[in-house]
Amino acid sequence: MHLKSYLNLYALLQNNVSTREERRAFGLDNVTLKNEPIKQLLAWENKYIHHLKKPLLSGDVSSYLYIVTFSLVIIAFILGLLSGITLLSYNGHEPVNIVYFIAMVVFLPLFTMLLSLFSMFRAKNSQSVLLHLTPAYWMEKILKFFPGIDDENIKNFKINPLLANWIVIRRSQFIALFFSLGLLLALLGVVVTKDIAFAWSTTLHITPEVFHGFLNTLALPWREFFPAAVPSIELIERSQYFRLGDKLSEEMISNASQLGQWWKFLAFATLLYALFLRCVMYVIATLGYKNALKKSFLSLEGVSLLLNNMNESMITTNATVGEHIVSSSHTEIQEIRQLKTSYDFVQGWAIPTSKLQVMNDTMKVSSPNIFEVGGSNTLSEDRAIAHKSFGEVLLYVKVWEPPILDIIDYIEELIEIVDKVIIYPIGTEDEMYHVKEKFIKIWIDKFSMIDNNKKIWIKTS
Amino acid sequence: MITHPRFAVVGHPNKGKSSIVSALALDDSVQISDTPGTTHKQRSFPLKVDGKILYELIDTPGFQRARYVLEWLQKHDVSADKKHEVIQLFIHEYEDNKRFNDEIELLKPIVDGAGIIYIVDASKPYGEEYEAEMEILRWTGQPSMALVNHIEETDYTLEWKRALGQYFKMVRTFNPMTANLEDHISILESMAQLKEEWIVPVKASIVLFEEYHTQMLDKSCELLSELVYDALSHKEEISLKTEEVEDRDKEKIEEKYKEYLRKLEIKTQKKIEKIWKHEHLEKTQTLLSFEEIDLFSQEAASVFGLTRKELLITGATSGAIAGAGLDLLFLGHTLLLGGAIGGLVGGVGAYFGFDELSDIKVLGQKVGKRYLQMGPMKNRNFPYILLGRAMYHTSTIANRSHALRNTVELNTNNAFKEQWLDDDLRASLEKYHKLFRAGESLDTGILDEYKALLLKALKKTSNN
Repeated sequence: MHLKSYLNLYALLQNNVSTREERRAFGLDNVTLKNEPIKQLLAWENKYIHHLKKPLLSGDVSSYLYIVTFSLVIIAFILGLLSGITLLSYNGHEPVNIVYFIAMVVFLPLFTMLLSLFSMFRAKNSQSVLLHLTPAYWMEKILKFFPGIDDENIKNFKINPLLANWIVIRRSQFIALFFSLGLLLALLGVVVTKDIAFAWSTTLHITPEVFHGFLNTLALPWREFFPAAVPSIELIERSQYFRLGDKLSEEMISNASQLGQWWKFLAFATLLYALFLRCVMYVIATLGYKNALKKSFLSLEGVSLLLNNMNESMITTNATVGEHIVSSSHTEIQEIRQLKTSYDFVQGWAIPTSKLQVMNDTMKVSSPNIFEVGGSNTLSEDRAIAHKSFGEVLLYVKVWEPPILDIIDYIEELIEIVDKVIIYPIGTEDEMYHVKEKFIKIWIDKFSMIDNNKKIWIKTS
Repeated sequence: MITHPRFAVVGHPNKGKSSIVSALALDDSVQISDTPGTTHKQRSFPLKVDGKILYELIDTPGFQRARYVLEWLQKHDVSADKKHEVIQLFIHEYEDNKRFNDEIELLKPIVDGAGIIYIVDASKPYGEEYEAEMEILRWTGQPSMALVNHIEETDYTLEWKRALGQYFKMVRTFNPMTANLEDHISILESMAQLKEEWIVPVKASIVLFEEYHTQMLDKSCELLSELVYDALSHKEEISLKTEEVEDRDKEKIEEKYKEYLRKLEIKTQKKIEKIWKHEHLEKTQTLLSFEEIDLFSQEAASVFGLTRKELLITGATSGAIAGAGLDLLFLGHTLLLGGAIGGLVGGVGAYFGFDELSDIKVLGQKVGKRYLQMGPMKNRNFPYILLGRAMYHTSTIANRSHALRNTVELNTNNAFKEQWLDDDLRASLEKYHKLFRAGESLDTGILDEYKALLLKALKKTSNN
């Protein structure tokens, strides 16, 4: 996986490419990738990459990173070369003190590598101070001021801080590597083109034996294979140089040809500490970078949703079509609050006559004609009752049952024949025929929808 | 040719057909009205998995003129094996007759092979007027079951069951207003038994329904984790125009900071409602309003957050755990001072972080562009207030039936904290809150771990 993949996925997710259905269809088409999220995301990215407008963000960022890295590498290489030449500059009068060069190719790399290791451990922290100390970080900031380097696309792009940190860490190793290459090249170049007398000098009271022991330790990795690249105690003794001597010691002059032998040690020290270990650091940084890239890839905003959309069954339960609501016109229905004591007819919709008698007694109503309508009656039975009805009809209805069209049909037939129909919605026996307001309202609403409802009255409490 | 099981939900008007469909289809958009005859057209609610229909529920209008239909059928009486053909003949003859629109609409899916789910309301007495309807359904010859609904408190189940038992081979009770996942699945299991060929697809639907429920819980917890992380790590900035930081600048940034968090909470709530398919909740004006309990009010802190004592214990525990790690690393040579110091630091930090929200810092002083920054959240109690509210909202929404159309009452509930938050969870959560407060970029795994904790807690509230 490359940075380009990360950037392309970022751009695709920003553009909200593909619908939920398309994502699930992709998941089903690539069901073998279900447990491999990175592969699945890469495959999805590959499918939709053509949706992105050109130039691609990945192209912009990659070329920006390439330009910045390339520039920094060249600068670092030149700096390394110049530093090497400066450190090894020999005027023919005084020998070159190898301590500077050792510091440059052994201690400085070890110190910066140590800082890099700390940075790696702290890479998760977006505010890592160590990262801000790296020259690569600041050189990039300086480079941004050059025309043509900065781009609007890149400015608006928000990279995962973890990944950004690893990019800086990795790039720092790469730049340091080229700096070291510059040093090595300087060493080799100077050795080839000049006859240099190397010496060592220090203000500290260090005996040649101690210095030999120290150099022997530094040369530990190669001393068995390349003993010639380890300075002998004699060479160390002969090449110790005291700044305040009037002239070079006799021994130094008599062994001038041997003083140049130091270059092998310096070359190996550069190869091992400045280059090999840096390469190791670069490999570690690359592994860390790849790991960060994977993590950042998976933690991109929208990735979790995308993976869910691809891998989770798409379950829907909603209606396929919208609801059709019918509205009707309303005509006010007449209400009565007090019943008369007698009616020409008392009828009950789906209420047996035995119960109607009880109701009449309870309501203190009497009538010579009591009939059950609706319910288990046949239509012709209802029709016969309607046709023999006259005057005022009190019609009990169960308030909890909705006024269906069957009863409306009957009432419409009844009002053609009688003078007045009083609909009396009653509650259950258990509730002592008491009615709830909300039920009464349903009946009023329903009868107000009947066009010719002048003969219809409804009993309300 | 339709191969999946179909179920027509039929019955007398206003007996809860649409409520039952709404609850079973998890759709709060179904019109549920007291006025009979709200449903004029059959409406299909397919359970689709990746575009494939596993089963289909059909909401139908109620019977309006059952006696007319039955009389017509009886006039064309035939032997039992041909009765369904008479129904087809009726549909054919009256298809364009508006008078029988509702009957045609409800009978059509049945003659096309749908199973019958006949709905009655057993909170009201049985009446013989239902017999015409049940008889018509018997004529169709389709597999059928009766669902006894209870719209009100009164109970006439016994007399209903006696009557229904004569027409339907299965009679089940189902209250759409209080139904939970278990009730839902139980009804689906009964529906599967209606016809042998339907057992496999409906059982498969049950598995998917459970998976769907898990998906919804999972997604909700993902949102809750993001909410807490975003809220705790958020930094608000305003640029400074004057040299000195004035009080009004501090007030301005504080208000902006709080406003961001309030909006974040509301945004998350909306997303959770969408996940649970309760999008129509917002149509009622008083829903999900936490206005009475402001996010930063003392009341919210006492109801949803931790008390100062609880917070102190949580801080001390998490500090001690971190310190104990050091002790372990040095094999106890630290004389267990790591744990003791960690506990002390954690406890003191938590105690003093009770009231304070966040530092207000002036940044960029040396660069020239000065601005005020507030955040990340410093208040140790805040995540518990936010999480408590979010858990309460999610739990309420997740357990709410889609048949309900009343206003959700998100009453503050002190007992709720006890339901989801215990000492162990508190200590576990604090570890993550510390990470969130640091404002560092997180590994994807961290939020997943946090989500898993919330998921466990949310499931606990569903069980209570």
